Amino acid sequence: MGYLLTRLDEKILSFKKASKKALVAYLVAGDPDLDSTLELMHGFVSAGVDILEIGVPFTDPIAEGPIIQAAHDRALKNNTSLNNIFQLVESFRDKDTDTPIILMGYMNTFLANAEALEEAHQSGTDAVLIVDVPGESNLEDLGIKNENLASISLIAPTTSEDRIGKICNSSSGFIYYVTLRGVTGSSHLNIQEAESNINHIRSQTSLPVFAGFGIKTPDDAFNLSKISDGIVIGSSLVQMIHEQSDQKEFKKIYNYLHDMAEAIIR
Amino acid sequence: MNNLTDLPNTDGFFGDYGGKFVPETLMHALKELDETYAKLKDNPEFIEEIDQDLVQFVGRPSPLYFAKRLTDYYSGPQIWLKREDLNHTGAHKINNTVGQILLAKAMGKKRIIAETGAGQHGVATATVAARLGLECHIYMGAADVKRQSLNVYRIKLLGAKVHAVDSGTATLKDALNEAMRDWVTNIEDTYYIIGSVTGPHPYPMIVRDFNAIVGRELRKQSMEQFMQYPDAIVACVGGGSNAMGIFYPFLEESYVDLIGVEAAGSGLMSGKHAAPLNDGEPGILHGAKSYLMQDKNGQVVDTHSISAGLDYPGVGPEHSNLKDSGRANYIAVDDDEVLSSFHLVTKLEGIMPALETAHAFAALEHVAKNYKSNQHVVINVSGRGDKDINTVATMDGISLD
Repeated sequence: MGYLLTRLDEKILSFKKASKKALVAYLVAGDPDLDSTLELMHGFVSAGVDILEIGVPFTDPIAEGPIIQAAHDRALKNNTSLNNIFQLVESFRDKDTDTPIILMGYMNTFLANAEALEEAHQSGTDAVLIVDVPGESNLEDLGIKNENLASISLIAPTTSEDRIGKICNSSSGFIYYVTLRGVTGSSHLNIQEAESNINHIRSQTSLPVFAGFGIKTPDDAFNLSKISDGIVIGSSLVQMIHEQSDQKEFKKIYNYLHDMAEAIIR
Repeated sequence: MNNLTDLPNTDGFFGDYGGKFVPETLMHALKELDETYAKLKDNPEFIEEIDQDLVQFVGRPSPLYFAKRLTDYYSGPQIWLKREDLNHTGAHKINNTVGQILLAKAMGKKRIIAETGAGQHGVATATVAARLGLECHIYMGAADVKRQSLNVYRIKLLGAKVHAVDSGTATLKDALNEAMRDWVTNIEDTYYIIGSVTGPHPYPMIVRDFNAIVGRELRKQSMEQFMQYPDAIVACVGGGSNAMGIFYPFLEESYVDLIGVEAAGSGLMSGKHAAPLNDGEPGILHGAKSYLMQDKNGQVVDTHSISAGLDYPGVGPEHSNLKDSGRANYIAVDDDEVLSSFHLVTKLEGIMPALETAHAFAALEHVAKNYKSNQHVVINVSGRGDKDINTVATMDGISLD
């Protein structure tokens, strides 16, 4: 591709060299409000999170379970827009220029802000993960033009053999392996199936493979980190953020993340 | 222009619209469906089985009926009615479910899911599932469960489970979201019968093809009954399956005007409507790119229509392409016009249309004057109005208790 190594690539390379596994944490921007999101982002990093995945709220998030759906709704009640999120990332970069940031969301919100997205790397965004765009698509053909952003794709247990190679070829950063059939926050982890599928993906690409969907306990984290290059935690964090949103006392969440970080292989 | 009939292309696009914008977990199921349909659609045994069901179970062909008093009322063109309201279960929706349930059977799926707005698609799905003894789950917005309570009970009587969806606006759009989530979760054993020409490829094509029986019959009936093809065909458009079904076989006859009628709700200027082709922008919802009611940030906005079946912010991608190509025209009529038209048609013709269908009738106020007395305008009477009695009574300020 010939582009400069991004913050995300550098982070991933450093983990590879040290044989460490990455901890990725997801939260929805604007839930309960953008100031809290900024505080939580820094708090996550202090607790041991390596990469941040920021959920961009959408009215119709069809891949999300009830916990993350509700968070999207709350963020939209606060009128959280993608432009707000670019500003959030810029503010975060005042204190942290090291932690990669991925924006995860749905195509319609990205398309509606396609122009602003062309500048997004300048405010510190490193990658996009568009849940409802098939991984083999060329984002540029679809109207998302920014070669400075990595394009992270999902591969599911149901992804067919012939598409895995194509998806890997069209992706950058890492491959996000969906560990279960279902929406975010479901609980049907099948470690054996995940292991065999992740090994297969690895045979097709040099990109690292992270695992996510349904990871709740330090045991889940440990088991999945053994067979992948990193793990993603989402719904359980979003649930805890919501439970603490009245007091805005997030220490319990940081402790949880600390335990998760300790549990995975470092 | 004549290549409109060959769409979608292999990627599922009608011009700029359509495609497969879905979570990865669904991609394989869509491919499987695409392949199954490609294999079966020209298979003589499959065609024979559907044809037999359409005749013996649905009651096809539906009549083409001359609406004499309505014709006199407008003193313009001859007004003809394509009577989809006379189908088993009372609407065009059964044409699609009879076909899709056979695809489900061919794919060995044991569990059927569907979304519904007005409840007609829910009834049509529960009906075919009951007939094959398959487990059936219907997702319906909580607001629609209330305003279409008769259909909810019908669905339950047919042995299906109704899931009221509280999220978002609690209408058809949210029912679709929830049905898709169910499908993502139960992908191995579940077949999703989408009820309109919406959703990811290949659904817009499949649902259109199964509904195209309506337009094919009309070609034959119009020749037999008035010795030519219609000058205009008018159909209501929510997702747009009844319209696509009657339009599609006439796409190449460019002299046949195709008029789609959207729900203007409280009026296009009020913003409280469900008319994306009249007042929306292209966007992506429920797996396809199409005209969409959305704000500048790409968030889908709330819709409003007196009719639950049209209360949807999107529209089938093929309609978006027909709009851009100019092959079809899309107008919108508001709730008040629809209610007047409902009463007018009921009294003049003894036919009580569904509120969705009443949109097509209400369009006559706008378009009838464009046609002469030797011309023929066909209204697709997509469904009957029994389900809407409560809504109409409420609107008229009458208590049925």
